[in-house]
Amino acid sequence: MPFNRLFYLAIFSLLAGCGEPQQSANVDYEQVYPAVTGGNMINAMTGEPSGLIPMIAGESAASAIASNIFNSLLKYDKNLELEGELADSWTIAADHRTITFKLKPDMKWADGKPLTSADVLFTWQLVTDENTRTPYGSDYKLVIKAETPDALTFRVSYQEPYAPALDTWAGLQILPKHLLEGQDINTTTFARNPVGSHYYKLEQWRNGERISLVRNPLATQGEARIERLVSRFIPDAASQFLELMADNIDTMNLNPIQYARIFPSRPDLTQKIGLYKELGNSYTYLGFNLKRKPFNDVRVRQAINYAINKQELIDGVLLGLGEPVSSPYKPGTRWTNPELQPYSYDAQKAIALLKEAGYADHDGDGILDKDGKPLTFEMLTNQNKQREMSAVLIQRRLKEIGIDARIRVLEWASFIGRFIKTGEFDAVVLGWSLSLDPDQYSIWHSSQQAPGQFNFIGYSNPQVDRLLEQGRLELDIEKRTKIYHEFARLLQEDSPIVYLYAGYGLPAIHKRIKGIDDPAPPAGIGHNSHEWYIPQPLRRLEISAQ
Amino acid sequence: MRRILSNPMAFGGFIIIAVIMLLALAAPLITPFDPEAIDVKSILLPPSSTHWMGTDGLGRDVFSRMLYGARVSLMVGIVAVGIATLIGIVLGSISGYYRGWVDVFIMRVVDVMLSIPTFFLILAVIAFLTPSIWNIMIVIGLTSWMGVTRLVRAEFLSLRNREFVMASEALGARDGRLIFKHLLPNSLTPIIVSSVLGVASAVLVESGLSFLGLGVQAPQSSWGNILTDGKEYIEFAWWLSLFPGLAILITVLGYNLLGEGLRDALDPRSSN
Repeated sequence: MPFNRLFYLAIFSLLAGCGEPQQSANVDYEQVYPAVTGGNMINAMTGEPSGLIPMIAGESAASAIASNIFNSLLKYDKNLELEGELADSWTIAADHRTITFKLKPDMKWADGKPLTSADVLFTWQLVTDENTRTPYGSDYKLVIKAETPDALTFRVSYQEPYAPALDTWAGLQILPKHLLEGQDINTTTFARNPVGSHYYKLEQWRNGERISLVRNPLATQGEARIERLVSRFIPDAASQFLELMADNIDTMNLNPIQYARIFPSRPDLTQKIGLYKELGNSYTYLGFNLKRKPFNDVRVRQAINYAINKQELIDGVLLGLGEPVSSPYKPGTRWTNPELQPYSYDAQKAIALLKEAGYADHDGDGILDKDGKPLTFEMLTNQNKQREMSAVLIQRRLKEIGIDARIRVLEWASFIGRFIKTGEFDAVVLGWSLSLDPDQYSIWHSSQQAPGQFNFIGYSNPQVDRLLEQGRLELDIEKRTKIYHEFARLLQEDSPIVYLYAGYGLPAIHKRIKGIDDPAPPAGIGHNSHEWYIPQPLRRLEISAQ
Repeated sequence: MRRILSNPMAFGGFIIIAVIMLLALAAPLITPFDPEAIDVKSILLPPSSTHWMGTDGLGRDVFSRMLYGARVSLMVGIVAVGIATLIGIVLGSISGYYRGWVDVFIMRVVDVMLSIPTFFLILAVIAFLTPSIWNIMIVIGLTSWMGVTRLVRAEFLSLRNREFVMASEALGARDGRLIFKHLLPNSLTPIIVSSVLGVASAVLVESGLSFLGLGVQAPQSSWGNILTDGKEYIEFAWWLSLFPGLAILITVLGYNLLGEGLRDALDPRSSN
């Protein structure tokens, strides 16, 4: 179709800036269209990256864009199982200390130079170099020897077996040696002008406005279909939503109100924008300071867990768009223990447990007490609407069983600096991410309680410590699964935190974009974005004078 | 009093403030809803005959929250200004009556305080203390006494040289008698006017602090934190932003009208 090709070309060469989009008249979004290449997808991000070398930049905006430019050795498939990306295969030696990666043959960087094991080794050297200012070095420093027996083989050896190792190799994006050798990685201009090996390459970066990526014909994973990915920087979520409604961006993540209240009342929006749901990547919890009374008593913790109605939180805070969790892993994935159920809402059981722990309302003021001290505590949280609302709902439920919980909302920096790092709190409403590797050593191991470390609630259980240590050494996936199922069970029983909910991710994507996997698999809606396509009749007709 | 009532500005302001105070005091009689009662089944309902101002993100009745919030706003305004006025009168009297190095010292303290942007000073102080309604009243009071101090001092300086004051001094009146019998009563008018205007700005500061999450803490309501709750839903739930915004506007307007009106009405030089 030479005519069509020419037509695309004409449009693309005209496209440059913020032209007024013109909605083509009466397009049918529901019709089935064959997959084609071409078209532009525009998304919005709240911040502008500081650079596009992910190990240096660190912020989420940088990794979101860099993940379209660079490859890792491994990646997670749609069901969150590891598979090869640059690596064709990998083998783990019998002593579980050495991993050998075989790279796929004939891979090229976007500039045409070959991609080999030397690049992988170079990247490992960079990330472990003392002069590289990266927060991600520690995992890779556990490697005592890295070598490249040939151009397609990369081998790493560890002092002792380290089970999260494979996950770390899915997280390290490989950089080109031939462009970075001899340069200072912290200041190199490569950060503004990266060359990678993934589906897209940088086309243009306009400061404070947008970054556009264009399809990389030499991509190691095959070619993507959409020609151009444009990321516009729109700091304010409300403005992003206006831009989505005005058809100036194609995708954004909605909040529950936008998803469940605004969209259903706007047929003009639902007609052109599709709504999706995916597993969220974090959970919200109520955590207790286990070193303080009354939370050093497991019965008090369990009682509070029974007294909180998780479904009410999900209905009230997330408008039903979330689910309860009972382990720190994504629901439905391998690491989640299917036998665990969240603590049911049972006020009677809560009162009975508190009675057993010695609490009763002796002075008749409506608040339980023990040894003359009322059962009262302060819940801290940061300025996050959903967490504040959760705290208010929890406060009400606890009052019903005679616990007086006060709420204090703090600004993030002082929250962390003055309360979390010093351990000066009773209870907190906060969130943890649902990690893909099950290793939770830094959060729950009793050795991780120093100021600034993650076990700030002071959790200490020798059995859990042992499981966490075993889990790090066990590379057999079945055995490892068992270890973490048991870990989650003990955690649930001890109730050092109350799992409140895991909210769904709520992506809205314009219906001009086809090929989306719905419902989203565990890996999320974007797992096959390279297969998404934009049928020609549905494309934006953008004409700009620039 | 007759003069106040015959001044339309003062009268209008007086009526506004009186109505808001009445509503705040009679809150439990007016609304059947508990302002803190959560109902997840009626989240973000628009205004209706049951919920006159709709419901908020947790299904709480906005009208009840507004009424109880009015108590907070009015109390903060009045108590904070009370503190500020008291400090201002004491320091201003000392400064204006004794003059000399005491005067110089107090006036330099005033200058220093005035050179610090008050709202940011309050923000910094509140961030260190636990935010609560009492702390806010005290902090606003302790940071807004400078105007009154200057006013009282100026009045004292000019009154000090009047014949009646000199006469009573010549007759052997002591300091206390001079200050409380002659100087203070004659300086009351500007103090009252500036206090009433001060309440208006204290109401604004409290709303601002609550809006930033540093004011009245959940589950208690104040106009400022209803407004913050509404910010999230502004394109959808207009009632959460409109009503508290209007309430703040009208209250501040009321105090300002009353203050300006009082100034006109009580000014002996005015033609009335």
